[in-house]
Amino acid sequence: MADLAAFTRFARTYQPGEIIFSEFEPGDSFYLIQAGRVRITKIVGDIEKNIDILSAPEIFGEMAILEGAPRSATAIALETVKVLEFNRANFEILMMGNPQIALRLLKVFTKRIYDQKRRFMILTLEDPQAKIADVFLMLDETQGSVNQSELDGDKREFKVTVDDVAHWAGMNTAEVQTLLGHFANQRRVELYQDRIVVKNINDFIRFVNSKRKK
Amino acid sequence: MPKVGTYRANSVIYFQGDQGDRIFVLQSGRVSLNYNDIETGKLIREIIQTGEFFGVKSALGRYPREENAVVLADANVLAFTVPEFEAFSMSNTRIIIKMLKVFSNQLRHIHKQVENLMENPTAVNAEMGLFKTGEYYLRNRMYSQARYVLSRYLTYYPAGKMAELSGRYLEMAETALAKYGDGKGPAPLAGSRAPSPMQGAPDFDANEGGPSSSSAPRLAKVSEGASLSDVAKEYYDAVSLFSQEKYQDAAKKFKAIVENGDESEYVGKAQFDLGRCLFALSQWDLAIKHFTGIVQSAPKHPDMADILFIMGQSWEKKGDKAKAKAFFSKVLSMPGDEDSSARIKAKKAFNALGGA
Repeated sequence: MADLAAFTRFARTYQPGEIIFSEFEPGDSFYLIQAGRVRITKIVGDIEKNIDILSAPEIFGEMAILEGAPRSATAIALETVKVLEFNRANFEILMMGNPQIALRLLKVFTKRIYDQKRRFMILTLEDPQAKIADVFLMLDETQGSVNQSELDGDKREFKVTVDDVAHWAGMNTAEVQTLLGHFANQRRVELYQDRIVVKNINDFIRFVNSKRKK
Repeated sequence: MPKVGTYRANSVIYFQGDQGDRIFVLQSGRVSLNYNDIETGKLIREIIQTGEFFGVKSALGRYPREENAVVLADANVLAFTVPEFEAFSMSNTRIIIKMLKVFSNQLRHIHKQVENLMENPTAVNAEMGLFKTGEYYLRNRMYSQARYVLSRYLTYYPAGKMAELSGRYLEMAETALAKYGDGKGPAPLAGSRAPSPMQGAPDFDANEGGPSSSSAPRLAKVSEGASLSDVAKEYYDAVSLFSQEKYQDAAKKFKAIVENGDESEYVGKAQFDLGRCLFALSQWDLAIKHFTGIVQSAPKHPDMADILFIMGQSWEKKGDKAKAKAFFSKVLSMPGDEDSSARIKAKKAFNALGGA
């Protein structure tokens, strides 16, 4: 990594278990990990769910560029963590001297813009079943063809839970559970504890397209 | 090395939906990016200026192209692969910063559009969410995490709905942390995991294992919380149940507070929250009846705008659009804060029903 010595005034250290920021807290800083691992969690129902574990040189909390938006997850130091902390006002100073970091942030933003646009497309569908189907199309587009060899033609496997799908579809879990049950009865999906299998992704594409207003 | 490509007028550099790993710079000629606006569906034509980059997001983010790049007049275009672009950007930080600014504005814009679609009266708002997170950590004996979250709550919402209870919880977390350490000690709240030999919630004394002196100013606030009256305790327990989406249980507790009717402050609050429970339980008729009662008995209720809004929503759920609209327009005609959340929501709901 580039020389970050000049940025010691942005340096912060967190002890194991220490919260860097909490879900729902308004945030104006984002972080570049220099050392140690950071656990990203969300409390769903009555369970603290791990969303991700990040390490150097990853960036997190970048949605802080949105004014007043509450944090969407909690960041907790998993071990002793060293980060550089930035905000909207000072990030340019850092970026000027560190094109690698600027490029990394640029990539994070492209991903977030896409995620949000895609989310918008899902939310504007009126039919709740189509929303759910579209969540799987989105997942298929973003997770790409990693397990292509294991895939059997149009079949797709997603490491998601009903809660995840509900979150993306902007619906409540109970409703998503019911509607996924309908899909399962029609043999269009298979539901497992830790994953959901879509039997024919093209069937979902046709279904969503037929429900999307032109 | 990036390659120069020559394109004739009316040809297409890439189509929407293509997977592409090239980033382009227009050197000469005219190129337009055509796409449909995601909100209105209207066709947008964005003319690329000479020297401008395009196709950046989809190439860097590895997702399908989002527009058709159409050549309007014979054009020379420089095409970078992603690694070439990365190498180029290392010595052209200003270009990256410029793109960062454009992208962060786009992100803000689309985020706002998504937020607008997500509005939901029963959704947990940030204030309740933050409180709930702190409560979760306390319940699970993660005292230092609870301490962080609850003190954040008190920083951001010093006069918030849950401020008193947060103060009380914060003190419990600090006491337990000093006395037992993280992950240890008896269950601090009902519903804590791994039941300990001691039953029920222990009575924490503010003087026991006192917190460090650095938190002294906070303590003054905390001790207020510690002297919560019984009805306040009941009320906050009910709010906590509501935030956990246990609407049946919450409704029972709110109802008990209303029926006891001793401290008017909490009775009024509980009355409003009982109506919200009924709405959350899809009991539209009961919710309407209940709120009608409040409107008649307490026309100056502080939550009147929200009450009328939820009544409108209940009518809408029942399929009576005319009544729903009448209630939404009542909210809009109320004097007061133009930007109150009830007004914003009512305006949206009103327009969604076809406006005036």
